[in-house]
Amino acid sequence: MIELPVIDAASNEEPSRPRFWRSLHHRNDDPEFRKVAAHEFLPGASEGPGGASRRQFLQLMGASMALAGLTACRRPVQHIMPFAHKPEEMIPGVPMQYATSMPFRGALRGLLVESTDGRPTKIEGNPEHPESRGTTSVFEQASILNLYDPDRSQHVLRDGDEADWQRFVDFCRSFVADAGTKRVAVLMEATSSMTVAGLRRAMASTFGALRWATYDADPAAQGMRQAFGRAVRPRYDFARARTIVSLDADFLGPADRDMIHNTRSFSEGRRLENGAMSRLYVVESGFSITGGMADNRLRLRSSEIPAFAAAIAARLGVNVGEAGAAFADHPYVVEIVNDLRQSANTGVLLAGETQPPEVHALCAAVNSRLGSVGRTMTLFDTGASDDLSLNNLVGEMRGGNVDALLIIGCNPVYDAPADLDFAGALSNVAETIHLGPHVDETAAACRWHLPRAHYLEAWGDGRAYDGTMAVIQPLIAPLYDDVHSEIEVLNTLATGLDTPGYDLVRDHWRSVLRGDFEKAWRRVLHDGFLPESAYAAVRIPARAPAAYAAPAIGADDLEVVFRLDPKVLDGSFANNAWMQELPDPTTKITWDNVAMMSPATAERLGVTVRLENGKHFVDRIRVSLGGNSVELPVWIQPGYADNSIGVTLGYGRAIVSQRPERHTNFFDLDDHTDIYGHGAVATGVGVNVASLRTTAAFHVAAGAQVSKSDGDYMIATTQDHGALPEEMEQVRKRHVFRMATVEEYRANPAFVREGDPEPIREPWEEYPTLWEKNHPTKQDAYKDNPYYKNQWAMVIDLHTCTGCNACVIACQAENNIQVVGKEEVANGREMQWIRLDRYFTSETDSVEEPQMVLQPVPCMHCENAPCESVCPVAATVHSPDGTNQMIYNRCIGTRYCANNCPYKVRRFNFYNWTKTLPVQVQMTQNPNVTVRSRGVMEKCSYCIQRVREVNKRAKLEDRPIRDGEVLTACQQACPAQAITFGDLNDPNSKVVQVRASERRYEMLAELNVKPRTSYLGRVTNPNPRLSAEA
Amino acid sequence: MSTASTGKSLAFTAGDGYHDDPPLVAGNLSFHEVTDLVALHTEKKTPMAWYGAFSIANIGLMILLLSVAYLFWNGVGVWGLNNPVGWGYAIVNFVFWVGIGHAGTLISAILYLFRQKWRTAINRSAEAMTIFAVICALLFPTIHVGRVWAIYWSLPIPNQMEMWPQFKSPLLWDVFAVSVYFTVSLVFWYVGLVPDLATLRDRTPLTKKLRQKVLGFFALGWNGANRHWRNYEKAYLLLAALATPLVLSVHSVVSFDFAVSIIPGWHTTIFPPYFVAGAIFSGFGMVMTLMVIARKVYHMENIITINHLEKMNIIILLTGTMVGFAYITEFFIAWYSGSPYEQYAFINRATGPYAWAYWTMMSCNLLFPQFFWFKKLRRNVAFMFVVSIFVNIGMWFERFVIVVTSLHRDYLPSAWDYYTPTAIDVLTLIGSFGLFFTLFLIFLRFLPMVALAEVKMVMPQSDPHFYEGHGDGHGAAHDLSAGKPESDRGKS
Repeated sequence: MIELPVIDAASNEEPSRPRFWRSLHHRNDDPEFRKVAAHEFLPGASEGPGGASRRQFLQLMGASMALAGLTACRRPVQHIMPFAHKPEEMIPGVPMQYATSMPFRGALRGLLVESTDGRPTKIEGNPEHPESRGTTSVFEQASILNLYDPDRSQHVLRDGDEADWQRFVDFCRSFVADAGTKRVAVLMEATSSMTVAGLRRAMASTFGALRWATYDADPAAQGMRQAFGRAVRPRYDFARARTIVSLDADFLGPADRDMIHNTRSFSEGRRLENGAMSRLYVVESGFSITGGMADNRLRLRSSEIPAFAAAIAARLGVNVGEAGAAFADHPYVVEIVNDLRQSANTGVLLAGETQPPEVHALCAAVNSRLGSVGRTMTLFDTGASDDLSLNNLVGEMRGGNVDALLIIGCNPVYDAPADLDFAGALSNVAETIHLGPHVDETAAACRWHLPRAHYLEAWGDGRAYDGTMAVIQPLIAPLYDDVHSEIEVLNTLATGLDTPGYDLVRDHWRSVLRGDFEKAWRRVLHDGFLPESAYAAVRIPARAPAAYAAPAIGADDLEVVFRLDPKVLDGSFANNAWMQELPDPTTKITWDNVAMMSPATAERLGVTVRLENGKHFVDRIRVSLGGNSVELPVWIQPGYADNSIGVTLGYGRAIVSQRPERHTNFFDLDDHTDIYGHGAVATGVGVNVASLRTTAAFHVAAGAQVSKSDGDYMIATTQDHGALPEEMEQVRKRHVFRMATVEEYRANPAFVREGDPEPIREPWEEYPTLWEKNHPTKQDAYKDNPYYKNQWAMVIDLHTCTGCNACVIACQAENNIQVVGKEEVANGREMQWIRLDRYFTSETDSVEEPQMVLQPVPCMHCENAPCESVCPVAATVHSPDGTNQMIYNRCIGTRYCANNCPYKVRRFNFYNWTKTLPVQVQMTQNPNVTVRSRGVMEKCSYCIQRVREVNKRAKLEDRPIRDGEVLTACQQACPAQAITFGDLNDPNSKVVQVRASERRYEMLAELNVKPRTSYLGRVTNPNPRLSAEA
Repeated sequence: MSTASTGKSLAFTAGDGYHDDPPLVAGNLSFHEVTDLVALHTEKKTPMAWYGAFSIANIGLMILLLSVAYLFWNGVGVWGLNNPVGWGYAIVNFVFWVGIGHAGTLISAILYLFRQKWRTAINRSAEAMTIFAVICALLFPTIHVGRVWAIYWSLPIPNQMEMWPQFKSPLLWDVFAVSVYFTVSLVFWYVGLVPDLATLRDRTPLTKKLRQKVLGFFALGWNGANRHWRNYEKAYLLLAALATPLVLSVHSVVSFDFAVSIIPGWHTTIFPPYFVAGAIFSGFGMVMTLMVIARKVYHMENIITINHLEKMNIIILLTGTMVGFAYITEFFIAWYSGSPYEQYAFINRATGPYAWAYWTMMSCNLLFPQFFWFKKLRRNVAFMFVVSIFVNIGMWFERFVIVVTSLHRDYLPSAWDYYTPTAIDVLTLIGSFGLFFTLFLIFLRFLPMVALAEVKMVMPQSDPHFYEGHGDGHGAAHDLSAGKPESDRGKS
């Protein structure tokens, strides 16, 4: 409305004398009178009794007409700007891609993030980044949902009460007033940020005392320091390695810091075309996906692995005393040493995070002796400084030597070692400040809580695993006003000034970039990284460990092994619904953590897992360690080491959510099916096992007291079968997963075809047709399709696929796949379009010593699709470019197609999963993919929206589609690059070449459904001497 | 007929005429007594027992309506379905009710064409049962879809999308087969009702104007004229001829839902005849259950005699054995095929997690009817009632076994799961019985439950020569009750 100040001003003037008054009320300027007098007529005379006046009505109608268009947009209303001045390069509806990076366990991962009309929707790897090369792990894919997590903290809290950012700034200003006398401590997650390092230096000079502790007990880093005498970071070149020995190292697992490089280089080292393939030995207590890829796998308690490592080292001439005596003549030791000796500098031995630093140092010494340091094992000189250990920090806190403690990105109240009593120590500190994405356990115990910005919301920087520097570029303004990054908070605490993170990062980068700063800065933002900025690789020999001793453990002692969860990590992804619903790669359990153990251990403890009515009901055990105990459900996992109990961290979280609990009428199941309807997503999921850990037994705790406790517990898995011998027999009979040893493969490269039926000759093919020379039934469908150029097909290489789950979440993020919750997963209604089928196999059908294989199964896009012919309303049909398409609008939900799908890849919307989706989560949805309603079928579409996008572009540019121009989401994410997708009509396409492989087979080919998705059989390279023994 | 010249024996030999069949209506009733016996129940004051039964049935109907409302509000997730098992109770119930709906038209059409005169005692109520069973059956495919508001897309209705249904889908064939069957059965039933409605109309006292009007309307002005009878007989014959192939086709088409798919345990060429035999089996089972009760409650022992029941038992024995033979054939073929999927599907049926359902089916369908080899058991009303209940249970489980056990473990072991029905599943099944019995009780109350005109046609008295022997008809009745040899009765 246009204000007319002149008239207003005139009317406000004091009336001139003489003064007239209507009544005493008027004269006294009674407020009641003023109200009456404001209206020309008495209430009701000029306006309708309850409604708007004509004038107001017109105003409202005009305004609502003007706003009607706006409400249809998803953009935040207050920031709407007319595109009279359109932001450069931005076209509404056309997604843009920006390079940025995601911090992950102290290193950056290079990313390209897709932004649709100002909101990031999909994360991909940065193809030019030397680390990522376009691929991602599962965590990058899932991190987009962390941004839109509806349970994120939105306000600054002071002593639990709502405050705002300005109040914190004021606090900091008064705090730094006498900074020289202040003893400040910072407890921060592992970070590689250079700006943070700069701020740390600034703080050290500002405050009287600065203590800096990194909340990351990395035994590998400590081991490297022991072995090489300085802070170096190891990287293994598995492409070069011929013999790889993993001692409890899940280096292919999603939680590994260098997982993307490891997976890529490992799969390169396995290529059969490159001559000799590598041999992987895995000695582990659990069953990791690395163990699944092993050629020879030995199950051994984690507590015995130091001795096992010593036995290997001893045979290779490293002096370890008598530590390895128990395994001196173990056949695996003998064979591993033989192979390592032969491989010389292409042999590597590596230890996992569960192993103490001494084992890492010993492995380094062995590698050094083999000559692989500097060749197969690269050392990056990180130059990391020595931080205070957590123990010492807690000691300082207890001693009253800390005036203010800033906790960034970690949750020590939740998962610090129990013997430290971190929460107790916290109460000795006058000012405790927590910066984190949630009001979590630590936030509740701190005086200040500051909501932390997601990496897509704030400026930052850091270095990749190899040291490549990059800027973290935000794609969206912070969703909540109070949200700030660690850089901003550190700076505010250090200076009392509220400086934007952008300025801080730029200021720091002025010292990094040479030449024209603006130009170089823009270049870094555009590329997503600073080239040639990696750590220097150093080549130094490792010291042999002094006085190496392996822990003693009795043969019957139970050990508990704590691992990072492959889905929720240390709990930082616990409130991510995608990750909670993601099946664990090896157990296929969703929405829970369990105590995993071998069948023999379960028998010893008298616990069982019962499959009743399609649901797993398990016993619970009470695990006691050093006076602490937790109760948690058990899980029997074939291939586990006996007397080893594996648990994963990150569950049993207590996150405070602002959202009210949903309550619907009794006949309405909306709140039952709504995973967001009952507080934070992570609430009530799993058990916190961190309280069992002590400083001394942080990763592996021997001598646990375990007893069976009462009660059944229901576990939701996405796969119920596969471990029993009769099931293994069925899997083998059906030739679902085809594998052979490398000898068998060399003898018969087409081993996968052995079980295949003869190609079906239709009766009419025997006779020439009179009217048609080229009868279509003689050909595959893609050849007789002159009016459409492309015929899409996919090949999945089971030989290199590790089963890391990245494809599952990539697909979920790309295709708006909904999360259904634990109950519904247990009911068999999970929605993921691509699933990883896990099978156990062994020559003897042994449940104790099986091999594990994982097979990704998306829609096969059969040429003779059985689903299509049975749909009564033609809701699933074939596209001219050879994909099997689902037309959601047309589907009435008879589910006949799903019944008739031999691969069971179709997913049905049993409820309306999206009706109750919080508005933040709605923003994650890809606008190019329909959000499905209740009652319709859905399934993998080969990312048809991406195909159509490229179709359009190619048509506009009047050119054929280039090979590799269309990438499906799963293919793009896959760190092993096991998925090939392309056009069968392009004779030079990669997919045509891969399809020519002798290892290619079609699953269930005998059904003559002609699947477009096919597999390459797996080849293993076991040590024949060990296999013969088994 | 050997006794073509001796009309009397024709009158009281219902079957082939070669051997001595007992009369189809016992008790030597007169035409009027038969009319009274049947029509009375539509005319007298409604008995309290009927109200009792009707309210129980209505509770069932309410359960159905509420569970369907709950289903529509929330989605098919309220059932126990999951990813491998996309069809559960709804489709089981559908096939079950369609199967039951086979007996009526079989009795009225096929047995009519085969001149099985004993059918007249039961055909009216069997046809009513058919229609009500098909109504129950039609309910389930309608409510089982995910988006019930779009169900009409499965009908070939011209529309602005220019989209037709997909004619390759067996579900669409179902739509046609079942709706055609329902329409023809309804017309057939109504045509048969016309003379009896006229009878009721004529018996209505003048004070009951409304009843007269309604009955008069539905009796279509029937006055028993020769011309009416001739047209009626022709129409009936034509409809019987039309309905006969439908009896065979509808369940064949329903079986295509399974046979056309590629799921082991479904993909079987034996399904059409096996389903038809099973349908007749289950239909007779249900007719038996209902008739045993109805003849007792309504004192119809003279019209629905023990001989009728025995004949039905023979059919149950025959079709039950056929069905059992099909079960065993499936096993043989699974072994003979050499296909691991097929073999596993059947081993899993008999020994897997649903073995209890399989062996329930086997014992109810194959084992129990075998007792009917014994004439004593065949004619024991209590025993046949128990067996008929078992047949109903067994045939429900047959469909359960086919639908669920085939789906729950098919090709890829990773996708295997288990199906557990929810309370809503069970309540909907119970509710469908509520709907069925509500309709059936209304039928019993307002319509003649026995085809009066047709029964009268097969009574000895309707034989034009009936009164020739002793002149009063008593001779014939006396002959029968005395059980004289045919040679004695045949001379006239």
